Amino acid sequence: MPTPKHTPGPGETYDPTQPPPPFGHALKQYFAFKNDYINLNHGSYGSLPLPVVWASSQLAYEIESCPDIFHRLQYFEKLNKSRELLAKFVHADTDEVVLVGNATAALNTVLRNFEWREGDVIVLASTTYASAANTTRYLADRSEQPRPTIYTIEYEFPLTHAQVVDLFRSKLREVKQLHSNIQFTDVPPASTGFVDDVTMKKNKILAIVDAITANPGVLMPWQEMVRVAREEGVWTLVDGAHSIGQEPNINLSQARPDFYLSNAHKWLMGKRGCALLYVPQRNQYMIKSSVPTADEYCSPGTKAYEKRGTGFVTQHEYLGGSDVTPFLVIPEVFAFRQWLGGEEAINGYCSKLAVEGGKRLAEVMKTQVLDESGELTLNMPNVQLPLPVEKTPGELYPPELRTKINLFLQSKLLYDWKTYAAHYYHNGGFWCRCSAQVFNEVSDFEYLGRAFNALCQEVEATFLKSK
Amino acid sequence: MTQGLGPELEHTPGRSYDPTQKPPPFGRQLKQYFALDKEYVNLNHGSYGSLPLPLLQESSKLAFEIERNPTIVAKLIGSDVDEVVFVPNASHAANKVLRNFEWRDGDLVIGPSTTYGQAFNVLKYLSDRSEQPKPTLVSIQYNFPLTDAEIIETFRTQLRQYKREHAGTQFTDVPSLSPGFTADVSARKNKIVAVIDGFTANPGALMPWRELVRICHEEGVWALIDAAHSIGQEPNINLREAQPDFWLSSCHKWFFAKRGCAVLYVPERNQHLMKSSIPTSHEYTGTNFAKQHELPSHTHESALALREWLGGEQTIYDYCHTLALEGAQRLAQVLSTKVMDENGELTVYMPNVQLPLPIEKQPGQVYSPELIAEINALFTRQLLLEWNTYTTHYFHNGAWWCRCSAQVYNELSDFEYLGKALVATCENVVEKLFS
Repeated sequence: MPTPKHTPGPGETYDPTQPPPPFGHALKQYFAFKNDYINLNHGSYGSLPLPVVWASSQLAYEIESCPDIFHRLQYFEKLNKSRELLAKFVHADTDEVVLVGNATAALNTVLRNFEWREGDVIVLASTTYASAANTTRYLADRSEQPRPTIYTIEYEFPLTHAQVVDLFRSKLREVKQLHSNIQFTDVPPASTGFVDDVTMKKNKILAIVDAITANPGVLMPWQEMVRVAREEGVWTLVDGAHSIGQEPNINLSQARPDFYLSNAHKWLMGKRGCALLYVPQRNQYMIKSSVPTADEYCSPGTKAYEKRGTGFVTQHEYLGGSDVTPFLVIPEVFAFRQWLGGEEAINGYCSKLAVEGGKRLAEVMKTQVLDESGELTLNMPNVQLPLPVEKTPGELYPPELRTKINLFLQSKLLYDWKTYAAHYYHNGGFWCRCSAQVFNEVSDFEYLGRAFNALCQEVEATFLKSK
Repeated sequence: MTQGLGPELEHTPGRSYDPTQKPPPFGRQLKQYFALDKEYVNLNHGSYGSLPLPLLQESSKLAFEIERNPTIVAKLIGSDVDEVVFVPNASHAANKVLRNFEWRDGDLVIGPSTTYGQAFNVLKYLSDRSEQPKPTLVSIQYNFPLTDAEIIETFRTQLRQYKREHAGTQFTDVPSLSPGFTADVSARKNKIVAVIDGFTANPGALMPWRELVRICHEEGVWALIDAAHSIGQEPNINLREAQPDFWLSSCHKWFFAKRGCAVLYVPERNQHLMKSSIPTSHEYTGTNFAKQHELPSHTHESALALREWLGGEQTIYDYCHTLALEGAQRLAQVLSTKVMDENGELTVYMPNVQLPLPIEKQPGQVYSPELIAEINALFTRQLLLEWNTYTTHYFHNGAWWCRCSAQVYNELSDFEYLGKALVATCENVVEKLFS
């Protein structure tokens, strides 16, 4: 058949020689939202700019015109280009960065590659994302040894960064004290006391550290926590799912986490299905197999292993039949953001709007923002909802009721009010986490406030009536 | 202002079809409904699939409503809806099963020598663990050409041989349909898990997997069927009847679904073993099979509708199977060689034909691993870039072979064209690498 000729739809192309429209509602033309939808929840699923939608669909046609030429002769070069751009963005070497489908896949790759032993410990946080926590639970749920023991640090926000670091350090030391009979000698290469001799390595501790938590959405002092962990001989897996495209100046060569991951399809505005997994050279020996195991798996004792070791990069080049377009449109993603003015312009606008919008929202709802000092907020303000606060957990809101309320809010916001921000129960109260993006304005927050006022009144009148 | 939902196509024939009108005859005229480049002669549908244009058009629209429809697939394979989940691809499915087993010292895992690279590699990975527990990996050696009867005999013989070699191990952890199954967990010591190809990749051969499953049941061996190539090619897959312990297939190969979709079948009786999806998800609670895999596949209904419009599975089968056999004969003529599958037992849509290159009697006599890699690379470049066609090519049992794919848009002349290309390329190989 003749190759289809396409004409781009409205918003699917832009003239890079002309300045973009001003940030705010004028930019909505480059995004795919239905006209009346007010998106204050970019944080959950990202928002794909129309020019990247266009690039993806063009690429899809190109792939289908000859899948063999594409997969066998063209794919790898394109993949490496994307890896290079992302690695540069986080100040890492290209060969320390591979692409996987999403943050959960990246987390599983690391967690499932550790060879767990009886006595090993994993330290999580109460705010650790569900799929990460579940993966550790699954590992610990094994019906027989070996399986790690799980500890969870309770973070109840608001907290200052200093308080977070203190809580973190205390927990690590507490774990060691509780298990003083265990020799935690399997420390990361970057820590003092590291030994090459495998027989000397007994047990290990791994900490999963959020760079930006999900609920609430707050910036954590992760670089400091990585440093503390390193001092304590603890492995760090940094979950930066929300980080690239929101957090400025990510410098992995400087921060030196043992493992790091981030979603390109959140704040970077990439196509859903692309995350970066960073494993510094010194730790690549640990990642024995991609998940799932790939064609390029290097078995110890083979020639391939002699040449490439675990082959971290080659193992992750092809993970089976899938839609690879999210990996390959990264250049177009960066080009669009460049056109908007680059990272500083984008995050300058968003972080300012996050503060103003959060404040305005709190005024409309007559409540308060979670983060008074501003230390914890980048582009995602967290604001309390106008619902009663309970002093003891379960007093007012048993878990089933929390779920009911959340489902109610979700459905009404999306279907009746045509707007959304994530909402969650935390520390006795209900909160919302907004996302300030380049297509938002303060009036969006005001609208959301009106919606929450109405809905929370309804919640009190119905779900909480009997209380 | 309504946002444009995806690219606007200038009117191009093939981007949609009228379900009330008959389709064009199979062959050259159907090509317009596929996104393949006009000049490209595709005889390698088997590797990556070919997405029909109407489905590509549809999936490039922003899908705000995504449907899940395991019913369609469940019906096709003869299983219950709750026994089927979607995963991104066949590798994921195989990994899910194999990584959920809690391996113990003494366990045996059996893979066929012809298993697709990625499937075998996960077995290798599991047994490469630097300390216990890890299963011992052994393989069943298949040297094609083989008849069904020979395959069955090979499997049974080698399986029993391995059991004898490990006579000291109590393989009492048998699947629930096997004699000697006990519900008492403490009585279950070790297990044997066999990965069986429903359809091998290289060569592309339909295996007598139902018979192999029966043997596994008798012998107390868990059977995982890797049937990546099956849905949309193999007729009458009836899992309720065949009763494998686990079965998987790619929907984006022969079923025309969009790349990124495979199905994993786990019968009710085994679901308690599948504790976690891969990766472990939000919904993990210990074991809730279906809930953990809510991955949508929105092109299944469209794929099925298109296949119905083409005339349904039987019509597609009749055309493709006949063309596979005739095309292979023709190709073998042009190449002055032979087809691998003399009696047609192993061939559905993917015939295997020998290439005109030297055959070696002893492994390594003519072809080192490096030479094999060089020849494969040369084939890939020349076929794709100079001749604008493709078939997979591989070295097996001393000889070189190609595995073609007969699809609804192919005709006999495609095989003739491929033959010309292969003759020229093989001459080139001999010239470059054997002089």
